[in-house]
Amino acid sequence: MNISPSEAEEALAAIQKMTRRTRHTISSSGAYIFLIYTGMIWLVGFLANQFLPGSQAVYVWAAVSILGSVLSIATGMRVSKRVQGPLTGMYGKRIGLFWLLLALFCCAVIAVIQPIDAKQLTLVIILFVLVGQSAMSLVFSFAYGWWAIPIGALALAGYFLMPGYFYLWMAVLVGGPMILLGLFIRWRW
Amino acid sequence: MAELNEIIHQPVRLRIMAALVALDADNEVEFTTLRDLLEATDGNLGAHLRKLEEAGYIAVNKTFVERKPRTFVSATGEGRRAFRAHVSALEEIIKK
Repeated sequence: MNISPSEAEEALAAIQKMTRRTRHTISSSGAYIFLIYTGMIWLVGFLANQFLPGSQAVYVWAAVSILGSVLSIATGMRVSKRVQGPLTGMYGKRIGLFWLLLALFCCAVIAVIQPIDAKQLTLVIILFVLVGQSAMSLVFSFAYGWWAIPIGALALAGYFLMPGYFYLWMAVLVGGPMILLGLFIRWRW
Repeated sequence: MAELNEIIHQPVRLRIMAALVALDADNEVEFTTLRDLLEATDGNLGAHLRKLEEAGYIAVNKTFVERKPRTFVSATGEGRRAFRAHVSALEEIIKK
C-alpha cells in the first residue's frame, strides 16, 4: 500500500482532530466539569468564610455543597453512560462506600486531634477530600484527579504562609485556578 | 520500518481507531456516542466496526444498562499496537 506525503499528512491531521474531539467530548476532559463545580463551591464557600459571620457562612457552605453534590452526581451518571471502564460497574458501590468510610475516618481524626481553630479543621477536611480524589485517580485514571496534588500543595501553602488570609487564599488562589483549569481543559485540551 | 495498515487506513476506520485509542486503556465508549463523534450513520458505523472486530482491533461488548440493551466498543491491545504502527508509518512517509 503506497500513499503520497500529502495523503499521509491528511490522515495524521484527521487522527489529531479525532483525538482532540474525543478527549474534548468524552475522555479525560470529563474531569473539567467536576473541577469547575468544585472550584465554584470553594470560591463561594471560602469567600463566605472570609467575609461573613461564621453562622451565615455555614448556611452558604451547606447550600453550595448540596447543589454541587447534586450536579456532580447527575454529571457523573451522564458521563458514565457514554464511557465506562472495566472497574466502573464492578466497583460503583464500593466507590460510594470508600467515600463514606473516608468521611467517617475524617470525623474520627478530627475528634482525636481536636483542631485548634476553624482553619485547621477546614484544612483537615480538604486534605481528606484530596486523598480520596488521589485514590480515585490511581484506581481509574490519572487524568481524573491529578489536580489534587497541586491543589493540595496550594492549600498547604496558604495555611502556613498566609494564615491571616487563608479563606481568601483558598477562594481566589485555589477555587479560582480550579475553575480556570476546568475551562482550559474544556476549550484547549 | 512500520508499514501502513490497509484495514485501519480507510478514513472512517482511521477515525474510529483514533477515537478509541484516545480513551484510557480498557475504557469503552457507547455506540451512539461514537456514532455522534464520527457523525456517521448506524449502518455505516456498524459495518466498519465489524471489519475492525474481525481483525481483532476492537472489542464489542453488548450489555444491558438499566434494562436497556447497550453496545460498548473499545480498542484491544492488538488494535492499539496496530494503530500506533500505522501512525508511525504515516510519519515516516512525511519525513522522507
